[in-house]
Amino acid sequence: MTISGLGPHGERASPPERVTLLPDDRAAAKTAGWRVAVVLHTLESDWAKQQLAGMVGIFGDCGAAVIDVVDCGFSPDRQVAELDRLIALHPDAIISLPVANEQVAAAHARVSAAGIKLVLLDNAPTGLLPGKHYTALVSADNFGLGKIAAAGLAPHLPQDAEVGVLGYAADFFATNEREIAFIKWLQANRSDVRVHVARFGRIDEAAKLGERMALEHPKLAGLFIVWDTPALAVSARLAEMGRVLPLATVDLGEAAAIDLAKGGAVCSIAAQQPYQQGIAAAQTVILSLLTRPVPAWIALPGINVTRANVVESFQTVWRQPAPKEVLRALGLSS
Amino acid sequence: MPPSAPTQAESLRPRGKGRPRTVETAAPSLVELLNLVRSETATTRQELERHSDLGRAVVADRLTMLGELGLVDESELGTATGGRAPRLVRFAARRAAILVATLDQTAIGVGVADLSGNLLTEHHEAADLTAPPAQLTERLAALFRWSLDRHAAAQGVWGLSLSVPGAVQSGADGAFLMTTPPIMPAWDGFPLVETLTRTFGVPVWIRSSVETMTMGELHAGAGLGQRTMLFIKVGRRIGAGIVCDGQLFRGAQGAAGLIGSLPVTSGGQTGSLDSLAGSDMIQREGMAAATDGRSAVLADILRRGGEITAIEVSQAAQVGDAAAIGILATSGHLIGQVVATLANALNPDLIVLSGSLVQTNDILLAAVREAVYGASHPLVTRDLRIIRSQMGSSAGLVGAARVASEALFAPGFLKEWVMQGSPLGHATFADYLGRLADASTPVPAAMPPPTRRQGMEPLA
Repeated sequence: MTISGLGPHGERASPPERVTLLPDDRAAAKTAGWRVAVVLHTLESDWAKQQLAGMVGIFGDCGAAVIDVVDCGFSPDRQVAELDRLIALHPDAIISLPVANEQVAAAHARVSAAGIKLVLLDNAPTGLLPGKHYTALVSADNFGLGKIAAAGLAPHLPQDAEVGVLGYAADFFATNEREIAFIKWLQANRSDVRVHVARFGRIDEAAKLGERMALEHPKLAGLFIVWDTPALAVSARLAEMGRVLPLATVDLGEAAAIDLAKGGAVCSIAAQQPYQQGIAAAQTVILSLLTRPVPAWIALPGINVTRANVVESFQTVWRQPAPKEVLRALGLSS
Repeated sequence: MPPSAPTQAESLRPRGKGRPRTVETAAPSLVELLNLVRSETATTRQELERHSDLGRAVVADRLTMLGELGLVDESELGTATGGRAPRLVRFAARRAAILVATLDQTAIGVGVADLSGNLLTEHHEAADLTAPPAQLTERLAALFRWSLDRHAAAQGVWGLSLSVPGAVQSGADGAFLMTTPPIMPAWDGFPLVETLTRTFGVPVWIRSSVETMTMGELHAGAGLGQRTMLFIKVGRRIGAGIVCDGQLFRGAQGAAGLIGSLPVTSGGQTGSLDSLAGSDMIQREGMAAATDGRSAVLADILRRGGEITAIEVSQAAQVGDAAAIGILATSGHLIGQVVATLANALNPDLIVLSGSLVQTNDILLAAVREAVYGASHPLVTRDLRIIRSQMGSSAGLVGAARVASEALFAPGFLKEWVMQGSPLGHATFADYLGRLADASTPVPAAMPPPTRRQGMEPLA
């Protein structure tokens, strides 16, 4: 699978294989006994849990202690405060998912300035440079995810259809890339389709925004929502209004997988690989602590999930069996 | 004053006779004070008085005017050094935005910057520069609109600055471009400047990628605070950006630093530096090493169905592949020889190497260092640092923003718009924009390629 996007500074993607650990690396890491902290936007989502599981396992194999795991609750202020608190603890490395752009840039720069290795997930605040302000960025190929979602939704759209895009208002590399790529794919391959864009600031605003968009544009024939949790909230609100619109989204959460398997509104999912991403992030930390060169941007390809491959995709993404409801909906279990 | 100038300027009209009003003579002092604030040379009223030799009352009056025009902000307090804390005078960099873009052979990047040239956002995507110019310009415009929608809808835009792969001829245009200079052969005849000016209603600047990256490195990278710097971009083509006395040196035609066309000799072969040390050579030699068995790492990539580009050769060198190391060392030595000549001519404080080849391995940098140190006067290399850039492609966007910001606030240009509070009110620009808008024939989406007119065929 190829990576279709470019990094936050135009970098070419490096595959996760570039940060593979050799037995010697693990042995060297074990003797060092490093301390690492993890700062995530939330610890509630399946995505965050899997990401963490991937990281913690690798750190365990390498004898590195995870001394703190922080839930920022999507709040930039909280992230700044937590990063400053962690800097005082002086761990060897911090893995952080910057929840905003400008508001959290300086706090992240302070981490590297304090001599702590910083590996970013999914987002690099504008102005921060790899090698100088952070070691590396590990993310999905978000541009590719947007293209997968557009290609998946397109067959469900009639000629001259109107499509709604619900983006994320925060200035965030991952969601920006998905939105740009989705629209670009449609412009290049379905120039008959008209796109309306709106953006939600918080997940609980998404349903209302979706409702407003559906009311303002009665001819709306489909929706793209930049990740699954808000997508399902929108889908539920539209169902209450008596409208069912085909919907494409990103991330194969359990509820989204069930909806897809049952033939519900969700017709296409572009899935990230959070467990693998967690592994890649932890390996990048270990290699950088071993002073080995690491690429500026490590990207994991997205997976095109349809009703036909939802079971195996779920297993690939989550490293566990698909939910019973998915299996039952597809006649694979009673 | 153009009819479209803000009403705020109405009261600034000259009186018929008698002593001129303060506002009529204010422009030079406004320009001086604004640039002192913008460059952070002075951050309080006292410092402004000291640096400008203007009296307290004049400084106070001009700051009030600049504040009303939205160009400075005095809302913040500084640190007290005994007595009352002074008010800080800050440049209102968010007064407006600058749109920036880099066009590359394989990618385009767009961004939004503030008036100090700080990037607020950026996005890069793959693109094919051999596609029709109209199509690429439309994609640029779509990405600019998307960025504006997200980042600068409220404050508006004051300028648009582009970075392109080749040298950009510095022509007879004034403070901003009013015609499209020759940039790339395939774009000949395409009205890029006119299209962008008309679409976004702002002045446009274009510079070569080496020039914008040099500006980026100088103002936001390793070159910060340096007076003399050489910036070397290594890719398919090899170019140098020259900084003297803290300013980018463009040369008579905008062609300074085109070192890629200099002849060099390697392995008994003579050719241009581009052809014997650029990424095409590295790719070609890497491919040969993969197929004739000299490079196990590159051969393995081929066996797995991978493609060998200069980046793969560079990465192979980094993991110790002897053949790949040899290829990059050859390239580095040739580049180093040419750079040494420039270094001896200019005596820089700093040489910065840039380009993805330089980023992905240490061999090229080491070879350049060796060649430069070996061929330079000891005084030239005594305190010389030779490093690689850490800005990636962002250098081009940051630098493009600095090009626009320097041009907007160049004293000669600023003097002519400062009283209007916006460069969009500048008489020549407003007139140019009006002419573009009034043009009866629309700017063609794509100009046809130049063809000979009938009856003018040779030997017809």
